[in-house]
Amino acid sequence: MTQGNHIREDERALEKLKDILLNKDRAELEELRSILNNQDKLSEKVRPIILSHFDFLKENFSSEYEEIVNTLIDKKLKQSEQELLDLIYPSLGKMISKYVALQMTTLKESIESSVKSKFSIGRSIKSMFTGVKESDLIIKDAVVSTIEEVYIIQRDSGLLISSASNQDSMDRDVIAGMLTAIKSFVEDAFNKDAQDLEMIEYGSYKIIIRSYYSFYIAIAVSGAFSATEQFELGTKIDSFAEYKMKLFKGKYDISSEEISLLLEQDFIQK
Amino acid sequence: MISKKIILTGSFGVGKTSIFNQFIFQKFSDKYLTTIGVKVNKKTMNVKGQELSLLVWDIAGEVTQDKVPTSYFLGASGIIYVMDLSRPLTFDKAEEDTKYLKNLIPGAKLKLVGNKKDLLTESELAETVANIKLPIDSITSAKTGENILELFTSLAEDLI
Repeated sequence: MTQGNHIREDERALEKLKDILLNKDRAELEELRSILNNQDKLSEKVRPIILSHFDFLKENFSSEYEEIVNTLIDKKLKQSEQELLDLIYPSLGKMISKYVALQMTTLKESIESSVKSKFSIGRSIKSMFTGVKESDLIIKDAVVSTIEEVYIIQRDSGLLISSASNQDSMDRDVIAGMLTAIKSFVEDAFNKDAQDLEMIEYGSYKIIIRSYYSFYIAIAVSGAFSATEQFELGTKIDSFAEYKMKLFKGKYDISSEEISLLLEQDFIQK
Repeated sequence: MISKKIILTGSFGVGKTSIFNQFIFQKFSDKYLTTIGVKVNKKTMNVKGQELSLLVWDIAGEVTQDKVPTSYFLGASGIIYVMDLSRPLTFDKAEEDTKYLKNLIPGAKLKLVGNKKDLLTESELAETVANIKLPIDSITSAKTGENILELFTSLAEDLI
């Protein structure tokens, strides 16, 4: 026998040995391949593992992932702050309106019940004469908006035509001048369509301004002042201005003191 | 009582606010000048037996008057246009500025004022005044208060 024949004989023997030893492993490998390549079979095998992990996550999600999720939410919130506000604001506004309306109703009910239990001669007489419900009078006292000062000012010069007030304020001529300067400044700086400055707001104070051809009327109001009240006051100022304009025929021949009395009667609550 | 609006104007740094402060006790802070460019205050005077309330608008200095919001000038009865006697550049613009103001508020009485007299010697003052083309109504020193009251009294008399 040659040396080459010996080598081939050995190789065959080795192959035989491999077949004997690896036969089972090869069969298992083939089985694994067939599972991996077949989606149904793979799914059947993997499904219990995934389900079991889901169960684990259900039980342990917060402890396992809480930190990561919180970090991601924080990051996203910071990135989309403005968008979130845009989304939340309308709903928030509705919620606040509902809440305020509810609180006002509760307040009114509570006042009505206190009216039943407490008697005020002054309030009852006022209610009788004015026709306003006692509960409304109490609300008015509780949530007060007060007209503090009224000014009628020449539109161009800023000179004070007349004023009325329920308090001692600083020099009203100077206030009229500065108010006109501020009004002129705002209108000059932002005026695009010949509009007038209509309101200045600071803290709980509002200055309502109605401009007419040669003069304007500025009313300082303190306290809670609703949009409805503002509208009503605007209408009242307009009707006063119309009436006053008639008085002003003949160029301010009515005295400043006379106008001041009219202002007090119409606007200042003593 | 009669009330009149007076505007105090001119280039920046000519001493308008110093004149204002000399004439009127301060009520408003100067911060209004830098925020809205104007500060208003009042002085009551008795002129020829007539009580007169002067509402003085101290307008922040601009390079030229057309840079000031026109609404600040409207309704003014008197104008005090201030120049700095120590800075010729400030009276170079006076002719153009006063022409602009007279055109904007035709009825208003105008006083042309040379301020900071205290910074010049007698001879320098004479030479400076001679070089100014427009007739000066008043030469003042807001620092010492010289001629300030006289300036406002003279304007008030013109307004009655």
